[in-house]
Amino acid sequence: MVLKLIKEVLKVGQATVAYPFQPVELPPGFRGKPEYDPEQCIACAACTIACPPNALTMENDLETGVRTWSIFYGRCIFCARCEEVCPTGAIKLGTDFELASFSRADLTTQAHFRLAACVVCGAYFASAKALEHVLNLLDQAGLPPEEAADRRALLRACPECRRKIDLARVKVFVQEAFDGRL
Amino acid sequence: MADYNIKTDSRYAVHPDAAIDSLKGALLKDIQRSAYVYRVDCGGCNGCEIEIFASITPLFDAERFGIKVVSSPRHADILLYTGAVTRSMRVPALRAYHAAPDPKICVAYGACGCSGGIFHDLYCVWGGADKILPIDFYIPGCPPTPPATIHGFAVALGLLSQKIKAGEHIQQDGEASELIFPQIPLDLRVEIERQSRRMAGYWQGKSIAHAYLGLIAATLPDGDQQKAAADLQAYLHAQDDPRLSEIMTGLHATCLAWQSSQ
Repeated sequence: MVLKLIKEVLKVGQATVAYPFQPVELPPGFRGKPEYDPEQCIACAACTIACPPNALTMENDLETGVRTWSIFYGRCIFCARCEEVCPTGAIKLGTDFELASFSRADLTTQAHFRLAACVVCGAYFASAKALEHVLNLLDQAGLPPEEAADRRALLRACPECRRKIDLARVKVFVQEAFDGRL
Repeated sequence: MADYNIKTDSRYAVHPDAAIDSLKGALLKDIQRSAYVYRVDCGGCNGCEIEIFASITPLFDAERFGIKVVSSPRHADILLYTGAVTRSMRVPALRAYHAAPDPKICVAYGACGCSGGIFHDLYCVWGGADKILPIDFYIPGCPPTPPATIHGFAVALGLLSQKIKAGEHIQQDGEASELIFPQIPLDLRVEIERQSRRMAGYWQGKSIAHAYLGLIAATLPDGDQQKAAADLQAYLHAQDDPRLSEIMTGLHATCLAWQSSQ
């Protein structure tokens, strides 16, 4: 009876994994620590809107024109919504799960980006890198050069000023089209 | 039960003590191979509990390191707080803290224990064990997997060193992001990504769309449709997944339809 049991045990061998002395085998599709590439980030805030537990946050300092992006790994639920919405692939979930820490500060990563000021009124209205990205996308979309130059100029102004510029253009258009007949 | 009133009962307020802090250091050094852990569930979803029990099973075997889960806080060296600390679990959490003998180590376990997690802004939630107790160690994860749990305890007990560090980046001059798949027309990329998400859902959808775009990016500028089809077939054959085959074939049809419409 006992011998049979010992035989069985020897046949089964050791089930315990060797982790942490050897790396553990992770299943395909394992979602670990979000790996962030600040060079590729355009500070568009899409991830901070998508993040269900608000582990990703973004703050604008309108005095100095700096946008601060930050992630607190202590609140992350590893859902990969940030990876899904990121237009430039700046944040991707890796396979690192060893996040244990003695302090909250070590669980936080921050990145500071410059804001772009409106060429008309001078108010900060978007991240400079996001604006640059949009202009590059316009080039990629293959607009005719004239239209692209026009849009480029318009995008340097804030939405409020853009509306005013549009209004002025409509006024000129109406005056030209009807030649004062209104 | 009037004694446990949150506002009036000072017995349940936590007063960190310098003498106890120095004892804690000694405790961490002494209990390396024999840490008794009491688990306090402060209103979690039980995901963390399942992972804690998974890490004491023979497969992961946390008892290799002397980590033992005990059933009373009076036996505990380490208190493991899971859950976002709901209003009704606040006093039991404090009672467990006061019942454990000094010096004791408090660990916040899981996203909820560390900061309230996805429940952090609920009306009835304190938002993490560190809002009511002096927490010495954080093990994030939702829930932390058994290897993450074992790594956490190994770091807390000084067997391994902490891996994660705070990061800070400041935008440099001339720093610019690169466009993804610049050789693929923008409207084709958007169409492929949308179609892929429709068929495979959010995260898989994006990764499948990008795998497909990576495959056709090499052949699309030349318009060599036969080579593109052959590449796709070879890739799908290597992956050997009928679901992926169906989705990618659908994406390829979308791509061909877009090409012929140009």
